[in-house]
Amino acid sequence: MPAVAESLAVTGELGRRRARPPRSEQALIRGALAGSEADVEALFRRFWPRAYRAAFLIVHDHAAAEDIAQEAFVTAIRRLDRFDRQRRFGPWLGAIVANRAIDWARARSARRETADTAADPASPPEIQLGRYSQEVLAALASLSPEHRAVIVLRYLLEYSPGEIARALELPRGTVNSRLRRGLDTLETRLREMER
Amino acid sequence: MTSRARKQLREFRAPDEIGAESRAWDVVRAAYLEREPAVARRRLRWRLAVAPVAAVVIAALALSPAGASVRHLITRALGERHAAPALFSLPSPGRILVSGPGGTWTAAADGSTRRLGPWSQASWSPHGLFVAAASGDRLAAVDPHGTIRWALARPAVSDPRWYSPSGYRVAYLSAGTLRVVAGDGTGDRLLASGVAHVAPSWRPAAADGPYELAYVTTSRRVVVRNGDTGAVVWSTAPGPRPFELMWSDDGRRLLVLSRREARTYAAGGAVISTVALPAAASDGALSPDGRSLALVLGGREVVVGKGGSLRQALAGPGVTAVNWSPDGHWLLVTWPAANQWVFVRVAGAPRIEAVSRISEQFSSGGAGFPQLDGWCCTAQGSAG
Repeated sequence: MPAVAESLAVTGELGRRRARPPRSEQALIRGALAGSEADVEALFRRFWPRAYRAAFLIVHDHAAAEDIAQEAFVTAIRRLDRFDRQRRFGPWLGAIVANRAIDWARARSARRETADTAADPASPPEIQLGRYSQEVLAALASLSPEHRAVIVLRYLLEYSPGEIARALELPRGTVNSRLRRGLDTLETRLREMER
Repeated sequence: MTSRARKQLREFRAPDEIGAESRAWDVVRAAYLEREPAVARRRLRWRLAVAPVAAVVIAALALSPAGASVRHLITRALGERHAAPALFSLPSPGRILVSGPGGTWTAAADGSTRRLGPWSQASWSPHGLFVAAASGDRLAAVDPHGTIRWALARPAVSDPRWYSPSGYRVAYLSAGTLRVVAGDGTGDRLLASGVAHVAPSWRPAAADGPYELAYVTTSRRVVVRNGDTGAVVWSTAPGPRPFELMWSDDGRRLLVLSRREARTYAAGGAVISTVALPAAASDGALSPDGRSLALVLGGREVVVGKGGSLRQALAGPGVTAVNWSPDGHWLLVTWPAANQWVFVRVAGAPRIEAVSRISEQFSSGGAGFPQLDGWCCTAQGSAG
């Protein structure tokens, strides 16, 4: 998704000026590799919101989601010189985010993270979400992390089934069946919540 | 049928998106600047800025002959024949925290010891009410009876440090990252990646912050970062590899110790002094008032630096670590080669007290000499 600030800047009074089109992903990566911090920041601002949302929708823990998206970016930045520039940056980053989020969700279910009086970090009281977001979150909670990841990659990050299959190292057929089943479950849960 | 679900997913917003983005950008930016081309550029700028300061303050310190006056005491007190066979009492108030193959233990002023659990590292909370303990993939807050108050599972946890004076935050290392968790175990989060295995150090400030934390990166920079917002307060150019960071109690000075030099920074990041050490340092500790620095040099002596000169406090081949008593009158020196602790009085008349069979006294089956994690506390903790 293009940065919201960027779109606003060219639609108000500023829109009368001749707006420069946003730089392409490839140009930003070239700039980042050449040492331009501004290009790294532009790349980060462009991809952060959806990376963070994707992680959050898979793990349902905002602190963990922040860590996961942050670590994914750090990994991507450190490996930027090895990035195949024929590919899109988004799916590459999304693959790192999704795989880390799935690992985290699996690990959480396998271990007891807190002891005694500590609060459950999966549901800290200060989280405020709009009604819309709460519904999506509650509906997604009925899916396994693996199913959530497929749904999030497809409908939030808008990757093709082929890109999802490559990112998660799954057969294309498995991706399609998880998409179909996940979306049906999601739709059923959302309908139940409306009643 | 499914268009509604898709629409809701597209319009989904996660909690605190702006705050998370701001914090993450600081970390990502720092990771980017760590890359080689940026490092080369910044190093040049830093050198230009600091060169005149460093040239003025670098000075080699010499050992004063005052050390000779305690030499006969050392000779008399040390060795199996003269050391106490057990820790009957501490020469100064407070409680000592140690960890080793036998787990984590406390030793009280009356000499009684208590095992807190099978931890490999620990540190006191500011008033000695709790201990942050780490072992393997686990970090925990433990009370002085060994009861776990909260715990977190994170990979390769080490070097937990409580924020002083309030204990509202705990910083720790985990698999090459620096993380911060609230003192009640909630809100654990990543603060920085690419972090060297050196214990972080909180800058003492007000009870509710600002929570500023110094740490060392794998590229040998010292970075001070806000533990809540993630913002970098200041950072240095790569320098000698530090092994210890220590803030003065008033939070106005940061001492960075590497094997061959002790460098002091002001709270804003300016270099105040750089002192070349006469031998390789392996451990160091600032006195509680921040005016004296005890150093283990060359693995064979402990010296105390104050006001520009170094004075020998103890000589013994194989000494490893040093710690100040809470009142600043005594040093505790660990001497694994002799299986002893040596208490050296550095205020008033010189005095040496040695205790032998340390491994056996802090063992629960595992053999090995324990490491010193801290000696606490003088103020509200009334530990001891």
